[in-house]
Amino acid sequence: MIRINNRDEIDWEEGLTVAALLERLRYSYPHIIVTIDGQVVHTEEYESRLIPDGSNVRLIHLIAGG
Amino acid sequence: MKVLSFIPELCVGCHVCEEVCSETWFKVVDPARSRIRIIEKDGSMSALYCVQAGDCIAVCPVNALSRNKQGIVLLKKKECVGCLSCVGFCPYGAMFFHPDETTPFKCVACGKCAEACPAGALEIVEVETPSAPGVQA
Amino acid sequence: MSDRNILTEFTYERPTVERGYAGQTLYVDVSDRRVAARPVTAMMKEKFVGGRGFDLWLLWNGVRDTTRWNDPENEIVISTGPCGGTTQYPGSGKSIAVTISPLTGIPIDSNVGGHFGPYLKFAGWDAIEVQGKAEKDVIIYIDGQAGRVTIEEAPADAPTDTHLLGPWLMARYAQSEEDRELTSIVSAGTGAEHALMGCLNFSLYDRRRRALRYKQAGRGGIGTVLRDKKVKAIVVRSPGVSGDANHPADLGRLQATGAEMHREVRTFDDKQNRMRRRGTPYLVQIMDDYDLLPVHNFKFGSHPDTPKINGDVWEARMTQGLPDGCWYGCTVSCAHAVDGFELKTGPYKGEKVIVDGPEYETVAGVGSNCGIFDPDAILEINFYCDTYGIDTISFGTAMAFAMECYEAGILDKDKTGGIDLSFGSAAGALEVLHQMSRGEGFGLIFGLGIRRMQDYFIEHFGADPGFVRDIGMQAKGLEYSEYLTKESLAQQGGYGLTNKGPQHDEAWLIFMDMVNNELPTFEDKAEALHYFPMWRTWFGLCGFCKLPWNDVVDPKNKLTPEPQKIMHHVENYRQIFMGVTGLEITYDDMITMSERVYNFQRVFNIRLGHGLRADDAVPYRSVGPVTVEEYESRAARYDSQLREWLGLDPTTMTVEEKMAAHRKYRQERYEKLIDAVYKRRGWTENGVPTLEKLRALGMDLPEVVAVVEKHL
Repeated sequence: MIRINNRDEIDWEEGLTVAALLERLRYSYPHIIVTIDGQVVHTEEYESRLIPDGSNVRLIHLIAGG
Repeated sequence: MKVLSFIPELCVGCHVCEEVCSETWFKVVDPARSRIRIIEKDGSMSALYCVQAGDCIAVCPVNALSRNKQGIVLLKKKECVGCLSCVGFCPYGAMFFHPDETTPFKCVACGKCAEACPAGALEIVEVETPSAPGVQA
Repeated sequence: MSDRNILTEFTYERPTVERGYAGQTLYVDVSDRRVAARPVTAMMKEKFVGGRGFDLWLLWNGVRDTTRWNDPENEIVISTGPCGGTTQYPGSGKSIAVTISPLTGIPIDSNVGGHFGPYLKFAGWDAIEVQGKAEKDVIIYIDGQAGRVTIEEAPADAPTDTHLLGPWLMARYAQSEEDRELTSIVSAGTGAEHALMGCLNFSLYDRRRRALRYKQAGRGGIGTVLRDKKVKAIVVRSPGVSGDANHPADLGRLQATGAEMHREVRTFDDKQNRMRRRGTPYLVQIMDDYDLLPVHNFKFGSHPDTPKINGDVWEARMTQGLPDGCWYGCTVSCAHAVDGFELKTGPYKGEKVIVDGPEYETVAGVGSNCGIFDPDAILEINFYCDTYGIDTISFGTAMAFAMECYEAGILDKDKTGGIDLSFGSAAGALEVLHQMSRGEGFGLIFGLGIRRMQDYFIEHFGADPGFVRDIGMQAKGLEYSEYLTKESLAQQGGYGLTNKGPQHDEAWLIFMDMVNNELPTFEDKAEALHYFPMWRTWFGLCGFCKLPWNDVVDPKNKLTPEPQKIMHHVENYRQIFMGVTGLEITYDDMITMSERVYNFQRVFNIRLGHGLRADDAVPYRSVGPVTVEEYESRAARYDSQLREWLGLDPTTMTVEEKMAAHRKYRQERYEKLIDAVYKRRGWTENGVPTLEKLRALGMDLPEVVAVVEKHL
């Protein structure tokens, strides 16, 4: 299991990348800060960076729209 | 059209071009009001000035920028509202501004700096006029 | 001009604008046909700054405790602010218009672009107050070149709808292309003569299209007040525009900050929201993806047809490559248009017109919220709302309400005079809109807005009061703008606790709260409902647009300690303010400036009888699922919330029991949020600013204290 934004717990699977996670959650918005256990993941690494099982993932959207 | 051309190997970094430019256009010797900037980095010289690309034309909200028959991009000061959109949108950073001037300024290939350059590093050359600005507004 | 019947002429020596202020405001009484100059005092600048602050102060002094929206002493006040008219920084030409709203009975403050506000200032006036009621339609003309203000009789054949009135006024007042560039118009339309949700149109002359474009002060019915006063239009001619027209204290500061921001826009906009190509509709698909787009009267958050009306569609329809800023120098340039659109309905059928927009609010409001996913229909409604002087947000949200009532059998063809108002009926929505212009039929009832429609449907159509009150998305009498708040407690408060009514300009916390879970506790939410409304209020004091703050952002912002605040842009604004005014301010000062005006506005609401806790109530549709259909559409989410929040087992409960449990919990939660927010704001449990708070802000003015004392 991995924890998203200190709230939702979702299933982990082997080989889960940041990009795949964003797609699974339908998080399409481009301005997003991704941290895994407090460490920032840069946009260039989304496709390659693997998320370990049991990690705390923050997906902070920077949107103050409207 | 005629544009300014710079030969870096000949430049001795004397900045006379900057002095002559500001003198010509602003009646004051002040490199901060020159339309050509000479930059020295790691032992080599480069020059920043307008190459008449014309990307700024479409960005101007008041149609103050246009290309004349000679292909030079000119700013009509009377129309200009000093917004500096052109400064921000020039891909080269070749539109300049100064706090004592409400309107920005750029090289118009007048040739005064080329005349004055003691090292022959500047000359006016003939190139093809771009048919349309490179970047969408 | 020989055919100008001038009723009053007032000449003045145009003052030079100094550090953002002309130093005087213009007062026009159309009852007595009196025009006067009023000084801007040091106190006004210190406590009210400009823009919304000046507007509210002048309105406060113009009205009585009992003044209603259609009393002659109600005023329309318009002001830009000291930084308004700056050309170097994107989005520096905004104005705020204020009046006692026909919809709410309290002041509405409405934000608008276009050229009028800065031109008014350059013409010599930091604000204009219009009071009274004319016998017959008048035009107020402020000639900033001649130094003359006239009240003129509007000829009987002058058009009223803006897309015709604008060119008519230009022909009358502008002799040359240069004149046209320097003239701006405030007008409404025929819709505003019959509906309470009338908007103002503020013009700008588009030099590339060589045509008039219009931005709207949409919210609150200010256009209705304009027409009630029999003011046809307010027209201003500016002496000019330049990079130093505000005579700033430090031009270099403005230039450096502005040029840098233009560069940031150029570098990042294409890869981010593409404001320069599509404007605010970039948000449509995003909201749908996150289940936050209002669909069918805020029942649902997404719809499979949303791609038909998303940002890509609008980018293809809008003319590209033009500098579409609504004030000079705005490189965010989001005021796009669809050119050459042929109207299919109504009195102007067959005309090919420029449609200003659409904005996100219009797409979501008259589009998805009404179940309308046809771009042409949205454009048609957008155009007619603008020219008729009708707010697209109130129209959309009210139409969504009417449609749900129609589908629930509260309305039927008998009651609507034959109009089909099922969700998705664009023809029905347009017919109602045209009726609003003509002043007839169901359109007359509809135009009263949701609150009065609720009363009407309960009294005359036997509608179930509980249901109708639950689904009518209005608070304080103003229709909600277009964001789904059911799952964001912070945004429920963001809307419910806004002074003017549920407009999103104060707080837009949906993502921070619901998606990012950055505000988990009541105190976190209350802190956000302090900082962001105060930060966002600041724009309207100074003449700034909020969009350049957050819609184009250097990604390096992600690495800062508080990325949601976008501090490098906050710093830009501080620099522009200091550069114009010469005043040194800190970030805390900016918040304090806003708190002064914000608390003053709260007290103004209390003064007029609608500013206490009871007035911060919200409809249940904004808080939770009203119908079984809504519950079942998100059953997994709602069931798991019962487990997580209340320790209940949904498998043992009926859907009615589950909904009742949700309702009790969510309503209590909203009340707890209000408690936390009031505490953070320094207000009593009843929502009254305390004397201590007012004193700390320097807003313990005798007239303000006199109002709050009665409630402390």
